[in-house]
Amino acid sequence: MNGILEIAKWKDLIRNLVLKNLRIRYKGSALGFLWTMLNPMFMMFIYFIFITLLRIEIDLPSLLVGILAWQYFVMCLSDSVSAITAHPSLIKRTSFPRIVFPLSMVLANLINFLFSLIVLALFLAVYSLLFSYTIQLGPAVLLLPAVILLQTALVMGFACFFACCNVYFKDIEHIMSILLLAWFFLTPIMYRLEMVRDRAGQFFNLYLLNPMVPVVTLYRFVFLGIPPPLSPVFLISCLSSFLILAGGVAIFLKYEMNFADVI
Amino acid sequence: MKAIEAINLGKRFRLRHSGLPTLKDRFIDTVKRRRGSEDFWALRNINFAVETGETVGVIGPNGSGKSTLLSIIASTMAPTTGRVITRGRLASLLELGAGFHPDLTGRENIFLNGAIMGIPRKMIEERFESIVDFSGLGHFIETPIKFYSSGMVVRLGFSIAIEVDPDILLVDEVLAVGDQDFQKKSSRRIQWMKETGKTLLVVSHDMGTIKRFCDRVIHLQKGEICEEGVPAGVVDNYIQSAVKLPPGLGKIAGWGTMEAVIRKVEFPGAAGNETPTFTTGRDLVVEIEYLASKRIENPVFGYAIHTPDFQLCVGSNTQIDGCRVDRIEGEGVIKLSLPALPLLGGHYLLSLSIHSQDHNTNYHRQDYTYPFDVFSPAGREGIVNTPSRWEFLPDGG
Repeated sequence: MNGILEIAKWKDLIRNLVLKNLRIRYKGSALGFLWTMLNPMFMMFIYFIFITLLRIEIDLPSLLVGILAWQYFVMCLSDSVSAITAHPSLIKRTSFPRIVFPLSMVLANLINFLFSLIVLALFLAVYSLLFSYTIQLGPAVLLLPAVILLQTALVMGFACFFACCNVYFKDIEHIMSILLLAWFFLTPIMYRLEMVRDRAGQFFNLYLLNPMVPVVTLYRFVFLGIPPPLSPVFLISCLSSFLILAGGVAIFLKYEMNFADVI
Repeated sequence: MKAIEAINLGKRFRLRHSGLPTLKDRFIDTVKRRRGSEDFWALRNINFAVETGETVGVIGPNGSGKSTLLSIIASTMAPTTGRVITRGRLASLLELGAGFHPDLTGRENIFLNGAIMGIPRKMIEERFESIVDFSGLGHFIETPIKFYSSGMVVRLGFSIAIEVDPDILLVDEVLAVGDQDFQKKSSRRIQWMKETGKTLLVVSHDMGTIKRFCDRVIHLQKGEICEEGVPAGVVDNYIQSAVKLPPGLGKIAGWGTMEAVIRKVEFPGAAGNETPTFTTGRDLVVEIEYLASKRIENPVFGYAIHTPDFQLCVGSNTQIDGCRVDRIEGEGVIKLSLPALPLLGGHYLLSLSIHSQDHNTNYHRQDYTYPFDVFSPAGREGIVNTPSRWEFLPDGG
């Protein structure tokens, strides 16, 4: 508990590392930080072109909402494996709380994600005007900060866990990409949730326990007004994000003292 | 009040036989019920306290746990057993410029380094001018540090560490930072900190510094405190214990990679039963028998002579003296002569070494290992025997 409160003392360092993280990502490129906006813009444009050209039966807005949320998740998890192992000299030579590393990594990804949400909002506005696509915007929009918080708790929990694991087992790096691929298909991004509900039967509740299911469906509720499949299991799945955060942080704090010996 | 307190401190390292463990290794180790690692206690049962305002030295041979101890006190490493309590702001000169980023300017790095040390930004802003001033970097402070020389980087790191006004300072051989001017400046500053009642913990191989500088000395041997007390006594005993190991008889005194070792040292022509004794003005000859377990290209043999209070009298090597040693492999002898020994009567310590041309690899170093005496027939006093001539001119020439 002390460790968590102590974090406030290191806000200068966290800010420093977040900024460094963001700067390095686009270092040397002519457009620099603008890429944070350009990237999702081009991505959405390409999806739009191909899905329209190929006449794929898919709801473009909900696909894009899913993909953006997924990208935030993927960036954090794949960055997490190297969050500690990429800084051996800092780990060996300094004494600040190690959780600063995964935290600043997640915050940097969060900032990127927030920028992509701005692009998404613009895209949706244009799309609904051009294609008379009705978006039922309601008070659900007010839930956006809560949903972002939910997902951030989830990715922070996992980031702490995997950052710590990779110090001890280098294989995590390689397992991660496979894990993420499977996870992608277990999350309703390329398909609609109803499809699973209709076909999975009793396994649907098990499917709902994937904490990314509530995250993605809640974003769709916020941006597109598509109601989430509220059920007790769904709520448990939401809560599990916070359990994962608590567990990940606890494991991280237990092992952080030994990073310097092993790394 | 106690500034540093170590209670039952211990540090265990798991020495793995091959790098980092993978899942497979762990799995195989578990299945075969074996341990893929060996335990090694770098520190054990360490108990000591440093009072506020005290300067304490830590000495011991390489691998005795000095650096591990400092790392634990600086809390870059966690102890396996026991704990360390420190009171006051602690700065360490162990890891100068930890976390410096090459692409950032000196200015940005000062703030980054301050953040890493947990110093409030406001305080860094207040001290900024004096940090730059002390580092002597001037307008280079706006240049990315990837364009700095290594000396400039260290100077900047030192200046930050020392200008943030720590209560406790951990020092590890820093008196060798930067050029001579900077060295003087930094040792004056450390002296000043000592005088203004700061607490200092100093690790050094330079026994002269330790003796002059410290109020108390802790001698570490194989991770345990073997003696603690006033500098003169502890340092002398340490030297004695280092000398006692008989060279060439199984155990070899000194340290290094041991790819080439000094196996036997003889003093032909020396008098004396236990301690070789030479005479001022006569030749001093040392025959060094070495053994190189592999072929070493361009090794350098060196020597140094110190007085018992660690004043360096002379030091040189084959490179400086222009003796070519192209390579060594297997056994051999190298002979060192000091013709017409210009040392006056007294007790001296001879150090010998085999190292690489760039001094980066020490194959074998024997510091202060061979004591010898010099006998002076004439009545001159001091260390250097230089002919002195007088001319008595009572009438003013």
